[in-house]
Amino acid sequence: MTDLFAIVLVGVGTYLSRGIFILALANRKIPDPVLVTLQFVAPAVLGALIVALLIDSDGNVSIGIPEISALTVGGAVAYKTRNHIFTLIAGMGVFWLVRALT
Amino acid sequence: MSPDRSIIKQGIADALPLYVPAIPFAFVIGVVIVESGINPFVGWTSSWIIYGGAAQLTLISLLGSGAAIAAPITAGLVVNARHLMYSAAMAPVFQHQPRWMRWIGPYLLIDQEFALAMLRADDDPRAFRTYYLSSGLVFWSLWQVTTAVGILVGPIVPESWSLEFAVSILFLGLIVMGIDKYPKLIAALVGAGVTYVTAGLPNRAGLLVGALAGILVGTIAERFRT
Repeated sequence: MTDLFAIVLVGVGTYLSRGIFILALANRKIPDPVLVTLQFVAPAVLGALIVALLIDSDGNVSIGIPEISALTVGGAVAYKTRNHIFTLIAGMGVFWLVRALT
Repeated sequence: MSPDRSIIKQGIADALPLYVPAIPFAFVIGVVIVESGINPFVGWTSSWIIYGGAAQLTLISLLGSGAAIAAPITAGLVVNARHLMYSAAMAPVFQHQPRWMRWIGPYLLIDQEFALAMLRADDDPRAFRTYYLSSGLVFWSLWQVTTAVGILVGPIVPESWSLEFAVSILFLGLIVMGIDKYPKLIAALVGAGVTYVTAGLPNRAGLLVGALAGILVGTIAERFRT
């Protein structure tokens, strides 16, 4: 029961964090300076997430030559092809290859 | 083909490859639920009550470690607090949506859905809604099914594949394809760099610090540009 209580609490909190601006501000005009700032939320959060996903349970960033190689090639393929599947195949391919060689 | 059907098709086609890297998360969540000693069905309900992989993983692994109940709850909430920024970013787009959509939309607003939807922010409201719901329901249904499968067969997947790294690659692709001016590149680089420097902060707080720094510096760069 305690486990279910914890899940429900985090679920409610997660919904509120996703919904508060959409529900509370949906009928109001958002000032222009705020709109300027909001366009940088996506690149900043995604950039932060890439690193955060590589943080281990001790708080260290586990990034080595395979990860750096894969992100470099993946970024280049994304830029050239604008295609997520090609980006994924190239990135993971380089990751596994370099990891096997190092 | 009607415009709606082609948008639905596009939403499904965009969501499927983006879901692939979430599969290892679903399996890991399944394994952690089994190992934590939590009732497997109760553990699985987190997939539709919370519907967020990072928070589910954090909450369930801490519940299983026997920590005081406040710790897992706080950690789970902090991990998902980044959604506040998604909510703020999506709010202008949802201004043009009916009330029911403004209640359902946030429930489906996971990382991948946010990334896809922001690229569609300038679509007309009906087209945006059709795209959002079709891609969002693909993510949601697959998440329910694959976390359940993970509980059953998760322990069989070799850890050596490191499939979770695919998430980083796809997020990088989303950044690269979304950059249309240099302040966005700066925002992404500062977000990543500051998160790297603050990686040791507890409860993954470095993620929030890095994201806020990236937004701030991106905004300042935009001021200098114009």
